[in-house]
Amino acid sequence: MAQLLIQSFLETLVMVGISMIVGTLIGMVMASLLVLTQPLGLWPKPFIFSLLGMFLNAFRSIPFIILIILMIPFTRFCVGTAIGTPAATLPLAFASSLLITRVIEDALNTVPKGLIEVGKALGASNLQIIMKIQFLEGLPLIISGLTTVSINIIGFSAIAGTVGGGGLGDLAIRYGYQRYDFTLLIFIVIILISFVQCIQMSGDFLSTKLKK
Amino acid sequence: MSVIIKNLKKAYNVVVLKDINLDIPQGQILGIIGKSGAGKSTLLRCLNGLEQPSAGTITIDNQSFTGVSDSQRRRIQQKIGNVFQNFNLLSRLTALENVMFPLKLLKRSSHVSRSKAMELLSLVGLRGKEHTYPNQLSGGQCQRVAIARALIGDASLLLCDEFTSALDFETSLEILELLGNLNKQLRITIIMITHDMAVVREICDEVCVLDEGRIVEKNDITSILLHPQNMVTKSLIRNLVNKDLPHSLQDSLLQNPTAKSTAVLRLFFSSQAAGEPIISSLVKKYDSPINILFGNLDHIRETAFGCLIIAIPYDVSKMNAIMRDLDHKDVSAEIIGYLPQQGGSLWPNS
Repeated sequence: MAQLLIQSFLETLVMVGISMIVGTLIGMVMASLLVLTQPLGLWPKPFIFSLLGMFLNAFRSIPFIILIILMIPFTRFCVGTAIGTPAATLPLAFASSLLITRVIEDALNTVPKGLIEVGKALGASNLQIIMKIQFLEGLPLIISGLTTVSINIIGFSAIAGTVGGGGLGDLAIRYGYQRYDFTLLIFIVIILISFVQCIQMSGDFLSTKLKK
Repeated sequence: MSVIIKNLKKAYNVVVLKDINLDIPQGQILGIIGKSGAGKSTLLRCLNGLEQPSAGTITIDNQSFTGVSDSQRRRIQQKIGNVFQNFNLLSRLTALENVMFPLKLLKRSSHVSRSKAMELLSLVGLRGKEHTYPNQLSGGQCQRVAIARALIGDASLLLCDEFTSALDFETSLEILELLGNLNKQLRITIIMITHDMAVVREICDEVCVLDEGRIVEKNDITSILLHPQNMVTKSLIRNLVNKDLPHSLQDSLLQNPTAKSTAVLRLFFSSQAAGEPIISSLVKKYDSPINILFGNLDHIRETAFGCLIIAIPYDVSKMNAIMRDLDHKDVSAEIIGYLPQQGGSLWPNS
């Protein structure tokens, strides 16, 4: 049983870890684009801004389980199969990049206008303002946002079990629910609770430390 | 840096600035003063490149700052230092890193900019605070960091936007003194906008009064304070130069003299005249008892100036001679009214 638990935990870790990393990278680019192109942004392009916003909102309104099914052809095209941990990671990464985009966008927008004007008055380029002022100042908020998203993604990863994604959630459904192995279920819940606690605590710690 | 502004206009939906002309020579400290909404912030934002004027030109050090390419504008912007009302320091950088920030944007070697930043921090009096974060510094210290940051790009023009509003009076004075010293040491031109005449009076050479988007008055600081022409200027300095009688006494003043009345004169004197025994020489020469009703001596930068309100028993021939005499001594005198009784108590109810 222990081996089963460890293996599932590692699967969860891989799914959540990869989708968070990919999601953060995509989220950073998309959020920067949104912040730049917004009507009062540094590079106002209302058309790009609303198009991107509509895309994000449309996909965010699809329940994750339906998103997985909807993405099956694309997943099959990319991964070669629609079943298994790698196949489950793709929709997870997609969902997390949607969430992370909004988190980063909000964090960048909370940076006081005065600081952005410092950059402008210094003759900084738009990219410098985004990277060296907004990302720098918004980092504590981004970290706490990413903490929340990663906990959400752990929840999503259980749903990914429906396409044989593996991981703790999948294990809980197969052994706990379908076979009614209550002891295992309790263990899974304990592991999940401690895992989430660890993430939340380290996220809080990092965010506070970065705030200065 | 010298700054020349010609026919500057700025309009959004409404006209904010109209027909601004200013010529600011290198090394001058110019105060732009006005009530809120007068357009002074917009004028400053045109100067630091945060806004583009709708019409007119700005020339900085013989280089055009308006109607030029972004890269040309950025090159000039890098030579302009900005000090903001709310300091605008990056909260996640230390004092030293904040000062180095402009050079980091220019990708200068961090070794050189580091030693330069250290130097500037000690110049603004913050030695030992290099590794402190802004929220552990007081408002005055934050503004000092901001000034050091404004200077690190070898700025020769400093634009200050209501930079004392967030500071208490004592701290404001310290910061103003610092700016005055920097102006003397480094010969930098300083343009500051404020609604507070007290700020302007501390260090400005020239003052320009802005109202409803226009320059309504521009003069050297002494003239502005002693002989304001415009209503707005007068209202802005009302609290600063006290030259009016208390209301109780003002109400008892008469417009025309009677046989036994006392003339009330207001005298303005500045610089050398402030050092002379004007009153006692008048008393001796005309053998008139002179009563001082109100007096005020002050300094504007290096110039001493004063205002006295005196009462002299009214006598037509003597009066004309006295006025002539005062005029010779560079004292501007005006009769502001007459009190009915001669001698005795001038103050009602006393």
